[in-house]
Amino acid sequence: MAMAALRREGRRFATPLISPNPAIALRSSIIPSQEQVSSGVRCISTQIVRNRMKSVKNIQKITKAMKMVAASKLRAIQTRAENSRGLWQPFTALLGDSASVDVKKNVIVTISADKGLCGGINSTSVKISRALHKLNSGPEKENKYVVLGEKAKAQLVRDSKKDIELIMTELQKNPLNYTQVSVMADDILKNVEFDALRIVFNKFQSVVSFLPTVSTVLSPEVVEREAAESGGKLGELDLYEVEGAETKSEVLQNLAEFQFSCVMFNAVLENATSEQGARMSAMDSSSRNAGDMLDRLTLTYNRTRQASITTELIEIISGASALEG
Amino acid sequence: MASNAAAPFWRSAGMTYITYSNLCANLLRNCLKEPYKSDALSREKVHYTISKWENGKPQKPTIRSDTPEE
Repeated sequence: MAMAALRREGRRFATPLISPNPAIALRSSIIPSQEQVSSGVRCISTQIVRNRMKSVKNIQKITKAMKMVAASKLRAIQTRAENSRGLWQPFTALLGDSASVDVKKNVIVTISADKGLCGGINSTSVKISRALHKLNSGPEKENKYVVLGEKAKAQLVRDSKKDIELIMTELQKNPLNYTQVSVMADDILKNVEFDALRIVFNKFQSVVSFLPTVSTVLSPEVVEREAAESGGKLGELDLYEVEGAETKSEVLQNLAEFQFSCVMFNAVLENATSEQGARMSAMDSSSRNAGDMLDRLTLTYNRTRQASITTELIEIISGASALEG
Repeated sequence: MASNAAAPFWRSAGMTYITYSNLCANLLRNCLKEPYKSDALSREKVHYTISKWENGKPQKPTIRSDTPEE
């Protein structure tokens, strides 16, 4: 009789560990509960719960440290990104950022991070790149990808393999500087034919908000074409005098190359800033989750501990009463 | 007047404007005096890996780097 009661109690104490539901009342009735999952386990040892708590606490420490590191890197790179915005603004004022230009050869430059654990920014960049690809597809039109960064590479390789032209990775071994970005821009210019370059990156608005952006850089021929026909803002280029021994088309070519390099520099910096910001918020929410999990595990641990003490007491008392009676 | 076809010498040598301006910047950085010079030259380091893809297949990646590989 006593042993049956004990067995029932033991099984009921075991279920909280399998589903830590604080609603299960422990000490009240001896009615066997119908939702027992594991039989044959009288009391789970507190060791398992303790191990789990230790690992969750370690994870919390690690994610907190990662958040601090990301915060400090963010501060450094944010000032650089904001300062680099001044590089492309004159270009946009002069040559315009006409995202709606209809061209035959489109090259989509997707900028992403190399390391993970930074939230969803890489997926949004890839999503926008794919949308651009679809938007610009048509009978004579051609879309190619140039990928910067491992994360976008992993996603784009899955379904757009034949449209990829170049992949560049390992960008952040040295701190980002203009020379590196301009050498990469040079590589792109030399290896890829394009009428328009669309650079997809995450612009940094604030620590919690990153805006996926597309910047368009046109090739010099297209710029000339636009200047000649529409007469809109590009037509005003004729108002400017060209000094020196160069013709207007040479100046336009130099300007277009330099514009590409500047816009890419800004884009890479802004994406790096967004990456650090996203990593900071991801690690912050993960350490908060770890803290919640730790609280729940502590409650479970205490319940298990008390249950095992109660079981021992019951054994002793029932043993003693069996001796008397 | 120089002929417009071959205008800047670097353009006819195959360089882009970007390469030209990087070379000029390097010359300028080398004109500095010592403590500033090494600071400025450290801002010039380049390292990345690039691989061209043909028809959905990657070619062998090459590493462009200023720092010698260990």
